[in-house]
Amino acid sequence: MDAFALQAANAILGNELDAAALEWALGGGTIRFERDCGCAIAGASVHATVGGRSIAPCTSTIARAGDELTVGQIDSGRFLYVAVSGGIAVPPLLGSRSTYLPGKFGGLEGRNLKTGDVVEVTEAALPFAPVHCSAELIPRYDAGIVHVTPGPQENLFDDDGWRILCESEYRLANASDRTGYRLEGPALPKVPAALPSEPGCPGAIQIPGDGLPIVLMADAPTIGGYPKIAVVTESDLAILAQRRPGDRIRFERASHDQSRRALRRRHADLHAIRQLALSAR
Amino acid sequence: MSADLRPHALGDSAITISFGEERSPALLRRIHAAARAIMRADIPFVEDVVPAYLALTVFYNPLNASYDGLAKALVDTCSAAGADDAEPPTREHVIAVRYDGIDLPAVSEATGLSVKDIVARHSGRTYAVDILGFVPGFAYLSELDPALQLPRRAQPRPRVAAGSVAIAAAQTAVYPLDTPGGWHIIGTTTEVMFDPRRDPAALLSPGDRVRFERLT
Repeated sequence: MDAFALQAANAILGNELDAAALEWALGGGTIRFERDCGCAIAGASVHATVGGRSIAPCTSTIARAGDELTVGQIDSGRFLYVAVSGGIAVPPLLGSRSTYLPGKFGGLEGRNLKTGDVVEVTEAALPFAPVHCSAELIPRYDAGIVHVTPGPQENLFDDDGWRILCESEYRLANASDRTGYRLEGPALPKVPAALPSEPGCPGAIQIPGDGLPIVLMADAPTIGGYPKIAVVTESDLAILAQRRPGDRIRFERASHDQSRRALRRRHADLHAIRQLALSAR
Repeated sequence: MSADLRPHALGDSAITISFGEERSPALLRRIHAAARAIMRADIPFVEDVVPAYLALTVFYNPLNASYDGLAKALVDTCSAAGADDAEPPTREHVIAVRYDGIDLPAVSEATGLSVKDIVARHSGRTYAVDILGFVPGFAYLSELDPALQLPRRAQPRPRVAAGSVAIAAAQTAVYPLDTPGGWHIIGTTTEVMFDPRRDPAALLSPGDRVRFERLT
């Protein structure tokens, strides 16, 4: 859900940015390492320890064989990412190591992990010096400001629609999951009728008949019939993903150029961190 | 030739190319031909193509691609692809259905048709696979008997079981996974619509023909 946190946790370990990691939601828990392994956490804010020592987010550390990574309750945010040097070794399926819960495939047997599971890790050299991701690269999760670019059906909405979308405060509704985040707040006026089904993407903001935005998330349908007024920038989708039901969200309009520049800058920064991590292992 | 093709950015890493405003079988054939042409053309940075009724969307790697350059290359490729472009061989599928859907009484009431008549009309024709989408393996099939055409349910169900055979507007479909859904459920099938280990993973491909056969 939070691509930045996944990529950052991988980068500081010198992994490919899209290596498989654990996505951790809800309560706390413990992972025991059966052999020495570099590890890093990123995303939601938690108190975590490895072998009894507190660890900082977005900083690589070494877990020795027998060490436990203990994760407390998530303080703010929604998803924590736990990456390990080399990445989680599940076989790729349809070009991905992700778990797709609705289809019950991918990842480990297509399901959530449960107590007692053993997860294989690809062999990789251990980091000999800690690497971290500097604070200014981390998205401003708490501000709740999310940039959006105009969507393909932008012209079906009038200026009022845009003004309401960008000048209102929305709250994340309870009925929000990996497929879509529903927002509560002012409805957009004069919503066009549903269209013949058209492709969408994660981040697309659909406006159904009641005028309340739904933002498509990681498990977004590939096509859908509601008009899309805007699309959340890939850089800021991480911020939205980490909001909890009841949290505030504000949208700000960005140009496609600004959005792509931000994405490229972020990727260049993460790539530089990865190079640093590779030279430290 | 390409005056009617309009590209539009869909977020940072996708381009939607609109082909028109009016849905038709001819437009759909043209969009599928263009999608095949894009995949064949090996255009740099292109990763995937999703065809739909009025548009197709191309997903690409945004880190190195120039949007303007790629949009132009895609529009050029789409306009060069004719509807008579070699179509892949179509397959015929027969899907066995137990017509025991939870919405049969409501469909009967809304259409004024008996259940027997609904079954006869639904299983009495051959459908074309228009597009794939929604969730993996979900095929939009047309054209449903006009007497069976109803708007979607006012309230979608939070969970529709995999294998449910359903109708809405001019279309019918089989739910491949347990998902939320707003179509009217008229039956069930044991056919596996999507298997990620099968190649292709989806049972139905655009252009295929499908018939439903009543299981007694």
